[in-house]
Amino acid sequence: MYKKVMVVDDNQIDLYVAEISLKRNSFAAEVVIKNSAIAALEYLESAADTPEELPQLIFLDINMPEINGFEFLEAFQHLPSSIHNVCVIMMLSSSIDPEDYKKAEENRFVKRFLNKPLVKEKLKELLLELEYGS
Amino acid sequence: MVENNIGLQLLTAPFRLEVKKRSDKIINYFLLTYFLLGFVLAYFYDTWLVAFGIGSLSLLAYYSVKLILPASNLYQYVLSVVLGTFMAQFIYQMHGLFEMHFTAFIGSAILITYQNWKLQIPMLIVVIAHHSVFSYLQNTGVDGIYFTQLDFLDLQTFVIHIILAGVIFFICGLWAYQLKKYSETHIMQTVEMAKLQKEALLSIERKRNEEALEKSNSELRKSNAELDKFVYSVSHDLRAPLTSMLGIIDISEEVTEDPFINKNLGFLKSSIKKLDVFIADILHYSRNSRLEVVKEQVDFRQLTNEVMDKFKFMCRKTPAIKVDIDIIEDSPFVCDKQRLVIVFNNLISNAIRYHSPVAESPFINISVHSKPEEVFISVKDNGIGVKKELQEKIFNMFYRISPNSEGSGLGLYIVKETIEKLNGRIEIESELGTGTEFKILIPNVQLN
Repeated sequence: MYKKVMVVDDNQIDLYVAEISLKRNSFAAEVVIKNSAIAALEYLESAADTPEELPQLIFLDINMPEINGFEFLEAFQHLPSSIHNVCVIMMLSSSIDPEDYKKAEENRFVKRFLNKPLVKEKLKELLLELEYGS
Repeated sequence: MVENNIGLQLLTAPFRLEVKKRSDKIINYFLLTYFLLGFVLAYFYDTWLVAFGIGSLSLLAYYSVKLILPASNLYQYVLSVVLGTFMAQFIYQMHGLFEMHFTAFIGSAILITYQNWKLQIPMLIVVIAHHSVFSYLQNTGVDGIYFTQLDFLDLQTFVIHIILAGVIFFICGLWAYQLKKYSETHIMQTVEMAKLQKEALLSIERKRNEEALEKSNSELRKSNAELDKFVYSVSHDLRAPLTSMLGIIDISEEVTEDPFINKNLGFLKSSIKKLDVFIADILHYSRNSRLEVVKEQVDFRQLTNEVMDKFKFMCRKTPAIKVDIDIIEDSPFVCDKQRLVIVFNNLISNAIRYHSPVAESPFINISVHSKPEEVFISVKDNGIGVKKELQEKIFNMFYRISPNSEGSGLGLYIVKETIEKLNGRIEIESELGTGTEFKILIPNVQLN
């Protein structure tokens, strides 16, 4: 189980589903919900010096107003390396655009591209994979 | 060479006609003048009958041949003879006045206008014949013969006279010949020039067309790319609420044991998934028909692994479906990877969806064999199969085998359209209750 997981999405329903799903499936002890990329970046920056406050995993939506997922990744790159060392990013989107897959795959901070919704089978699978993988 | 000559003849034909017309016109005036000159000369020695008789006979000969054979050049040769005859007439009329011999040179010079050296020959013959005969006759003392005012023309003088005349005729013939050559060269150059000019104009126009084509192509590419983006964002916006719903259903299913609610949630879920598949199908269809075929090297192992990743959850349901992937890559294969993914996705999801509920060990065998010319792909299952009489229809748009089918009726249609876009073909082999095999052949588009 992860100690802390962050979900970045502008859609309230998806945030709600993700929070419940992550908690109920014992995926994460604590879920940080951020409804915009800016709020998420601000949170990460403020926690840069306190690694225990940083989420180990970030579920990142792509299509968001103001700053979208890829722009978030761009900004994430310029964050302190203490953040890079802790946070692993998973793209979580309902996009089926191969361009989006490609872009996500090419980014060194992105572990995987996941399609919504974040259902329990997917979470179980992910938990197994990430634990064995790391 | 012969071809060249014919080409030259054709090219210079209009010009030669022009020369002929112009020269004929000059000759008309010239002959009239000569004819009238006869009457002027008749005044001196009272040779009216000669002036009228020989003059009109000459004109008659010339104009009659010209009238009867207008297409032939014969009348020009007749003219040559006529000019010689006039010379003889004038010499006679002036009783051998030496200066009248110059009329031969005038005639020879005027013939240059036709640009045909051969025209000099008849006149030369007439002059030689006339000189020989008349000189001989006068020397032997025949009465009424006037050739020279000298009492006696010795052989040496006669020979020099003839040689000089010959040189004049030769030079005039040479000028005629050179004039003709010069004109031809000039025409050839003009024609070449016109050709070059035309080519230059054509190439300018071609370039302009190419630029216009390139411009409209790039505009088309741009609008295609924009449309592509639009289609994707529409599909995303349509899918987003569906995925939210699926998420809600997923978290709701976990907390209820009520079979009624669970059943209803299941129905909801399958309806949403159906709509989701339909959106994806429409997206793929629109992309396939619109977008150009991309050429890239395809790694079938990686491709099938990526595709199978998506179906992991589906295959794990009971009974577990065993998936076997057998890949032989004899040659690098170049094709449109994204399109191949669509083909595999559809065939595999069909194989999973229509697996046999009664088969003991359901399986899907995927085999790929790539060769330099083509790739052979087979997706085989032991699922429910398709009735023989329905096999033809399954590739049709919106065709569904049973009303209970989960699909949109677009899947296999898209598969067929996509394969056709790649210049390949697909066949189905199936037996009801035994299983289905889709066999595909796609040509290898080697990278150039």
